[in-house]
Amino acid sequence: MVRTTSGSRRILKWIGNGLLVVLLVWTLLPFYWMIATSLKADREIYGFEATLYPHRPTLAAYGRLFGTTPFMKYVRNSTIIAIGNTVLSLAFGCLGAYALARLRFPGRALIARGLVVTYLVPPALLFIPLFAVMSVLRLIDTHQGLILAYLSFSVPFSTWLLMGYFRSVPLELEEAALVDGCSRLGSLVRVILPMSLPALAVVTFFSFTQSWNEFLYANVFVNSVEVRTITMGLSLFVVEDVFFWGPMMAASFLSTLPPLVMYLIFQRWVVKGLTLGAVKG
Amino acid sequence: MLVRRPDNPRVAISAGPRGAFREDVLVEAPAVGRPRPSAVRRQESWLAWGLLTPTLLVILFLVAYPFFSAIYLSLQDKMVGAPGRFVGVANYLDLLRDEVFLRTAWNSVLYTAVAVGLKFVLGLTMALILDQPRRLNNVFRTLLFVPWAVPVVIVALNWRWIFDDLSGFLNNFLITFHVTSDIVSWLSDPRLAMACVIAVVVWSGTPFYSMTFLAGLQAIPKELYEAAEIDGASTLQQFFFVTIPRLKTIFLTTVMLSTIWTATNLQFVLILTKGGPASRTEIFPHLAYTTALGARRLGMGAAISLVFFPVLVVLIVLLTRRMLRSADE
Amino acid sequence: MSSMNRRDVLKLAGAAGVAATGPWWRVGKSHAQRPKKLVYWHLPNFTPLADQIQKEQVYEFAKQAGLKESEVEYAVVANEQAAAKLAASIEAGNPPDVIRLYESNVQFYGSQGHLLDVTELVAKMRREPKGIFESSMTAVVYKGRALGVPLAVNPWPVHARLDLLEQAKVEYPKTWDEFIETSKKIQSPPRLYAFGMCLGLVEDTTDNVMNLLWCYGGKMVEADNRTVVMNSAANVAGVKVIEAMFKTHKIIPQGAIGWDNSGNNKAYQSKQAAFVMNPSSIYAYLDSNDKDLQKVTGLFPVPAGPKGTVNQIDTWSYGAFKKNPYPDIARGLIEYFMQPANYDKIIQSTGGRWVPVYKRLFDSPFWREKPEFKHFVNMAETGVPVSYAGAPTPAAGEVLNTHVIPKMIQRVLVDNWEPAKALEECDKRIVEIYSRYNKA
Repeated sequence: MVRTTSGSRRILKWIGNGLLVVLLVWTLLPFYWMIATSLKADREIYGFEATLYPHRPTLAAYGRLFGTTPFMKYVRNSTIIAIGNTVLSLAFGCLGAYALARLRFPGRALIARGLVVTYLVPPALLFIPLFAVMSVLRLIDTHQGLILAYLSFSVPFSTWLLMGYFRSVPLELEEAALVDGCSRLGSLVRVILPMSLPALAVVTFFSFTQSWNEFLYANVFVNSVEVRTITMGLSLFVVEDVFFWGPMMAASFLSTLPPLVMYLIFQRWVVKGLTLGAVKG
Repeated sequence: MLVRRPDNPRVAISAGPRGAFREDVLVEAPAVGRPRPSAVRRQESWLAWGLLTPTLLVILFLVAYPFFSAIYLSLQDKMVGAPGRFVGVANYLDLLRDEVFLRTAWNSVLYTAVAVGLKFVLGLTMALILDQPRRLNNVFRTLLFVPWAVPVVIVALNWRWIFDDLSGFLNNFLITFHVTSDIVSWLSDPRLAMACVIAVVVWSGTPFYSMTFLAGLQAIPKELYEAAEIDGASTLQQFFFVTIPRLKTIFLTTVMLSTIWTATNLQFVLILTKGGPASRTEIFPHLAYTTALGARRLGMGAAISLVFFPVLVVLIVLLTRRMLRSADE
Repeated sequence: MSSMNRRDVLKLAGAAGVAATGPWWRVGKSHAQRPKKLVYWHLPNFTPLADQIQKEQVYEFAKQAGLKESEVEYAVVANEQAAAKLAASIEAGNPPDVIRLYESNVQFYGSQGHLLDVTELVAKMRREPKGIFESSMTAVVYKGRALGVPLAVNPWPVHARLDLLEQAKVEYPKTWDEFIETSKKIQSPPRLYAFGMCLGLVEDTTDNVMNLLWCYGGKMVEADNRTVVMNSAANVAGVKVIEAMFKTHKIIPQGAIGWDNSGNNKAYQSKQAAFVMNPSSIYAYLDSNDKDLQKVTGLFPVPAGPKGTVNQIDTWSYGAFKKNPYPDIARGLIEYFMQPANYDKIIQSTGGRWVPVYKRLFDSPFWREKPEFKHFVNMAETGVPVSYAGAPTPAAGEVLNTHVIPKMIQRVLVDNWEPAKALEECDKRIVEIYSRYNKA
């Protein structure tokens, strides 16, 4: 019995290895094309003279990116906004999730379910009323405005995810802390949060990438170069009816790096955090 | 059979053949401490609302208000820049009468169902593979995760560039290696366009599935497999009687989130095909967007974007119900 | 414990309050607040040089008008995002003061009463020696008043590869029939298709299709801007020609169905199409990126059909929004842009992308010495807008923006509908659109 299982395990492993190669090609090929395009001169980019790999690799597109566009400013703005959004999502999410996971009050179940429904609201249309809200708050064309706008998708998600995770923290630990004279907030900070690091990692990671990647709100709510984000900067490589693919792909490639680094840092926890958080809620 | 979860001894995991989750997904909050007098309860209620204030403010002003104003908008004949007139459900009626509506509805369902289905299969495959012991597994996990980190706008632009009929990677590759002699019009061939759009959506969305599925797989206690093996279950049987039941909740949650994200996404179609050729890839978010901004008919655009909403709500209610029930059993 | 709870609540309320007003996490300063006296949204011009010159002009003007630099907002807005941004800002009562508007947008916002009357300014421009191209006036005049200032008239010439014509020992075709024959001679698919006609769901497709239909006597709407005449024998004849070029003669690449506005540009620039109908943005691109190809590029009027040759022009204008508390500054900026000396600098720096609205500026060596611009004066003079025989009205704008005509042509080319049936469906849609506006 055991032998057949280990035999089939070995077969499965080889099937797995084979599929892994296929999946890697499927996943990475578009990246290859992105990077290859960014390293070509125009002549190799267009038409049938387009080459499958850069015959004469050049950094001209990157030079153009850094030389003629304020790309570093875009990076700065995207970073400020992504970090600001992440910090607030964590804070709001922790507080709300604690209430939903640990406290009894009327309306609790309704709010918990409502969090999911907020996702259904299609952003493609919300930008106009949201623009009005931002105008009233005088937050058009500011970092704060975008941070706030992005809270509309990151806060429900983080609250929901943390709620699921907080529930899995043993009650006894918290009871002990409360008996020792800890306040509710104290027990949240001292007992629950230290045990929820994986979920916090997931929230950090998701809030950061989603803010970093957002496009529609950024385009509508921001005018000046001082606030412009990377995804918006990309759209400026389309002038009337001409695309500048070289620098656009260079910018694309560079802008995927930060979320990737985030994932590398948080990977260990993300998998664990998802197990207990979102996935159960 | 009951297994104590090592990290949380209070939570017992039942793992019968149906292996329903019995964990902490409860509608009722667990009470901390002993039964308490109502004064304490009231205090708890106050605290709860206090803690929820920021979240509720966000939802109220940034989600609920825009959402209800969109509903109100959908009942007007409002154009950009001009005041609207209340027209009741006229927009919805016009929409239902338009044959474009039927086509768009069919496309939207097809697009969402196929994309979600493929992401599911591919994501599960990826997760199972990445769960196998292997050297450098962390590296592979990171690599396969990469698409999730790429902004959707960039994904769509990059793929459009791959599909490009004259300068794209695919045609260049196929012609260079003599697989085809003529250009394949990936995004403009009516038989291929939808498939290409779905391929891009799948490429971009699969890592979310593999991440959550992998998380679920790793949470399954090894003891369960050992026990199943002793009982003489084959690898396949283990997969169907241990793995699948244990992942059920994860499946539901992931599919639910992904269905919402897929069905409401605008950027892929907007950048790849603009709904063409001959409306073959027209879906609601894109139709709503072009109506609201191209035709500048805000009222009609709102109606279009809301018409799919009840379908999704029903789907979600069904899913969450099931989820909660299987948790309560 | 109870007092602690209450304290928690207070602490939280405080934190939430701080977060909501948020000066402590404020970064950078706020930009779009109304203390600005001049808010100008800049849609990128064709060349970086032109952008630079225009930016300098904005600040020069501001200085002359006595504004501080901090009182000026100069925002670059990508073309594709302009519609969304403008819609949101108008809805919130916060539109820019001055922006460049395409064709029907002038009449759309003008008819709603959002735009400043600039009749005086346009009258002054017309008094310049030789005046301006009057063909541009159809775009900006609404109920007898000018609500926008035309800044460029763009002919849509056929960009043609002279070297290929020479190789095949043929002239540039005079008629569409000749065009098809010539095309078959010079093309070598899949590497080179003759005709890079736009057929995707984009604005350029409406332009390309209508331009051909005109040559066959067709049009979309009568000059009364009410009577839709899409479903006509002339249009059927024209659509059949397109169908034949696509299906029978195969001189248009199949992929054109999926092209965006840049598709025909890219096809020509990468030498995969020998003829394209487009404003001179292609020519201007070559000017700065591929001089070799530019040398063998000719710009011609479209070939003639049974009803002769009709050429398209489109018009870009400056519009000033009324909401602005400083209307004189906004008008002043447009006037400054349009001063012939300032204006000529921009025009010349765009490498042929913009055709000057002042006829006199055509006398400069830039336009005179290049043979490829030989036909431009005539085209600018006699050209018609895409909404011909109607004006670029709001209804015409919706037809263009919702791709009614591209959808019609895709019915024929993709769904294999009879041209007459496709035109009938198209006619119905356009009638619906026009009647909606005419009712209001």
